[in-house]
Amino acid sequence: MSTKTPNEQDILRPIGIDKISKPYLALFGVASLAFGIFLIGWFYQLWVGMSVTGLSDWGTGGGVTWGLYIGAFIWWVGIAHGGIILSAAVRLLGMDRYMPVARLAEMLTLAGLSAAGFYIIVHMGRPDRMVTSVIGHYHITVNNSPLVWDVTVITAYFVLTATYLGLTLRYDVTRMRDQLPDLFEPIYKIMTIGYSEKEDKVIERMVWWVALAIIIMAPLLLHGGVIPWLFALLPTYPGWFGAIQGPQFLTIALTSAISGVILVSYAFRRAYDWDHIITDDIFRGLLLWLGFFCLLFLWLQLQQLTAGSFSATIDHQAATASKLSHPAYIVPMLMVVGVLAYIFATTLRPSLFNKKRAIGAAVLVLIATLVEKTYFVVAGLWYPAFDIYSATPGEYFPSLIELSSVLGTIGMVTLFFLVISKLVPVVELHAIEHLRGDHGHGEHEHEEPAESATDSEVKA
Amino acid sequence: MSTDDESFHPLGSEWEDELETMLDDTEYDTELGMQMAQDAFRVSKGELSEAEFHEKYHDDVMEEFGEDERPTKEAYQKMQAEASEEGTVSRMLSKFEGDGEESRRDAMKKMGAGAAAVGLGAWGTVDDGPEEPPQPSAGDTAAQADEDEDDGVQWGMAIDLDRCDGCLTCVSGCASENQLDSGVNWMYVLQYDDPSATGEGSELARPAGAAANRLVRPCQHCTDAPCEKVCPTTARHTRDKDGLVLTDYDVCIGCRYCQVACPYGVNYFQWDEPDVPADAIKEHYEEEGMGDHMTDDRGRWVDSRAPRGVMSKCTMCPTRQDGQMGEGQVGTTACEEACPTGAIQFGDMNDPESDPQKYEDNPARGRTLWRVNPPSADELEEDLDGVDDDLESVLEATDLEEDELTLIKAVDIVSDGLYDGDEELHSHDLDYHERNFREALDALADHGLDHDSEEVLVGLGLADETDEDEEFDGPDERDAQMELEAFTGSPDSNFRLLEEYDTNPNVIYMGQQPGPNAEQTEPTGTGARYEQLSYDTVTDGEIQIVDNRKDVLDEDTVGGGLFS
Ligand code: SF4
Ligand code: SF4
Repeated sequence: MSTKTPNEQDILRPIGIDKISKPYLALFGVASLAFGIFLIGWFYQLWVGMSVTGLSDWGTGGGVTWGLYIGAFIWWVGIAHGGIILSAAVRLLGMDRYMPVARLAEMLTLAGLSAAGFYIIVHMGRPDRMVTSVIGHYHITVNNSPLVWDVTVITAYFVLTATYLGLTLRYDVTRMRDQLPDLFEPIYKIMTIGYSEKEDKVIERMVWWVALAIIIMAPLLLHGGVIPWLFALLPTYPGWFGAIQGPQFLTIALTSAISGVILVSYAFRRAYDWDHIITDDIFRGLLLWLGFFCLLFLWLQLQQLTAGSFSATIDHQAATASKLSHPAYIVPMLMVVGVLAYIFATTLRPSLFNKKRAIGAAVLVLIATLVEKTYFVVAGLWYPAFDIYSATPGEYFPSLIELSSVLGTIGMVTLFFLVISKLVPVVELHAIEHLRGDHGHGEHEHEEPAESATDSEVKA
Repeated sequence: MSTDDESFHPLGSEWEDELETMLDDTEYDTELGMQMAQDAFRVSKGELSEAEFHEKYHDDVMEEFGEDERPTKEAYQKMQAEASEEGTVSRMLSKFEGDGEESRRDAMKKMGAGAAAVGLGAWGTVDDGPEEPPQPSAGDTAAQADEDEDDGVQWGMAIDLDRCDGCLTCVSGCASENQLDSGVNWMYVLQYDDPSATGEGSELARPAGAAANRLVRPCQHCTDAPCEKVCPTTARHTRDKDGLVLTDYDVCIGCRYCQVACPYGVNYFQWDEPDVPADAIKEHYEEEGMGDHMTDDRGRWVDSRAPRGVMSKCTMCPTRQDGQMGEGQVGTTACEEACPTGAIQFGDMNDPESDPQKYEDNPARGRTLWRVNPPSADELEEDLDGVDDDLESVLEATDLEEDELTLIKAVDIVSDGLYDGDEELHSHDLDYHERNFREALDALADHGLDHDSEEVLVGLGLADETDEDEEFDGPDERDAQMELEAFTGSPDSNFRLLEEYDTNPNVIYMGQQPGPNAEQTEPTGTGARYEQLSYDTVTDGEIQIVDNRKDVLDEDTVGGGLFS
């Protein structure tokens, strides 16, 4: 499997029930188990009440009212948001090199948003009222409530991404219809309803515009806007308040999304021998981008640390002092610093790069962003402006159910990829066409034996 | 007094100077105020129409007071219809406010200073030519402006921290009334250390001496409540009729954003099934003929402990305010009723005659009313039977000490009058104490002791002796006030919590303000510890009061023993 020419057969390889392999089944089993365990935990939570979590009330309740559920919610939205930005950038800025992973990034966005949406439900005391209470008063609450903005924007992004993905899939599915399994015929039929070749040009242009919209809205919505605004607009929490949270969240979105894409791409490449499609070159490039956004991430953290300790108000100082002493802040920062150092080193000495290390960097960044975001949520509530309740300080350690939610949603996202990869090509035809067009860099190193094949296993 | 100088005001330039000084003391534009006052007079003389007056000042008022639209035509006509013979400045001024309930409240607060600035107090006396310059205070005129405006009720509290004994009776009183779970301390009292606390001002407030730094902490029922703003469902809302911030337990989805957005940490989520079933609460209160203690007059479930999965917090007892628990309970809360020291004064913050407003106006007076218990009229009558009516004999014959009588009379002197209605009153009403004071004084007067006479007042140190050629000019209000303050002190400061965040809380505190370095100490409360308290539920169970709710909730946490 050295210098192969990518062809349609390559991207069709995963599709169809008959293509199910033992490793696939094993991974399916593991992912379902992770998801299943969490579902059981969640049902138990619904049964007994949210007291099964490690949460309590802030104030005299001696705890925090938002914890890992919200931290992980932010994390998934970040991955999703970064994913779609990545894919839009590929289409808009002609970053053709990354075309083979663009669709994976879009799919990661859909999966990530689903996981985030799921977290909203899991986090609630009365999820059954979601529709009646939220939609019923939408016209009033949309004016004020950042939480309503969140739900709106998440829904909007989900629809936007699904449309985007759907449009490009029409092209592929029509072209490759004959090789696709008949079993899913109805699905393909629906997907390609009313397709004619004439629309290609129009679709191309539409996709471009949607991509533009996504890029323009990126700093305003999701992790550039409404999600950080959940926190940044509350002046009574010095750890949260302030204009920097928008940019800070955006860097988190981009670092974690690139990491996510690295892991997913690697998994597919390994599983389907796609080293000529998702080339080393792509990993090198993604890693560089990861380094760049890690740098931004750390830079904005530094801004906050400086402003929060130099001559800050008493409450702000307390919030910053906690960061400088709490392992849940320090360790993630060191992890990102480490990743950044490694990526810098690879630019100086390219031989330091290998995919295993790239995977390691991605995993570290994902862990770091999850922990940092959870710390951010919790510590905000630990150090409010009205910091008087010292006899009932906020304590928090996530319960087993909360912890299992992280594995559960990773399992859920893995299942999403496992299922969708059986239905439609996860690499777009355009990418193959493109690769064939200017193919020629056959440089190839032998696959190192990786102990784990999939993102979820690595993360787990 | 002169009318021939250049001044516009019938009371002359002296009065204008006073006005100007007053204006200088407010945050509002002196020149504007003076000019408005001048033109207001022209309106009264018919030289200027009210409409013109509004036309002229609308923009300025907007800029100065930050309010709002000028009167609509309908509003203007309505105003005309309602107008009494002599238009008052306050009524005219009030037309500058907008229609929104909130802005109206706000406007009225701000109008206070403005109304004072234009010499509202002197208004009514223009025609007859006043004998002496009246002395309107900003408070008085604001009050008057408030009355003019049928502004609706805004329930709230004045809390005298110096009077708090830390007995936690309010905490258990609230828990019992609302059948709260362990650790759900809607009302909470905390004690704290504060390097910036002076500790001054509280020594005299209680017979027991200076109190520790304490904070009595209900929900602040903010006029601009951040909790309400962020709620994604409108479950957290302000009740239009009386400004209470409530949670509709049938709408809340339990996202807990309100708890996050509230700066004060007063929210309690119902993490699991509450200990006392709703049916039991309903049954209990219905048996007492008090409604179900859950549904308010609008039919929304906002009172008592929350069901599982939704948010709760101090409600300030909406079903009481709706009269469901009897007319006598309107204007009271469970905590106020429970507090033995009168530290909690609940009432309508828009009504200058309400307990919290009167108490806050003159805390020394309020404290004295609570601390001095005059003998009843009957007792006095009995004791005084056949006794001479001079001061000395009266004091000798009764249980009244001289300093007690001094304080009672001093309260009378500094008051605009002591309550003399015949409503059913409770000992937690300020009026109840006023009535006791008045009845005691009346009993003495009936006996023949003229406590308004020079002899008695001078004897009690509440008036200056006059020379023979002078006419006695009544009691000395300042002396009276000094007597009260010498007895029970006056709070160090008067504040609302975290005012800088613009939440406009409806709880006013008197006493030590916790500084930014204030830290709660343990155990809380000198009188009692949380863990020593409990209450009996309507289901004949007993619920322990707990300081730190986490201790209770941790029992359910699925930790697998990993983190314990
Ligand atoms: S104190 Fe103010 S912000 Fe907090 S719950 Fe009460 S009304 Fe809402
Ligand atoms: S917990 Fe309930 S009341 Fe509070 S913000 Fe959420 S929906 Fe509104």
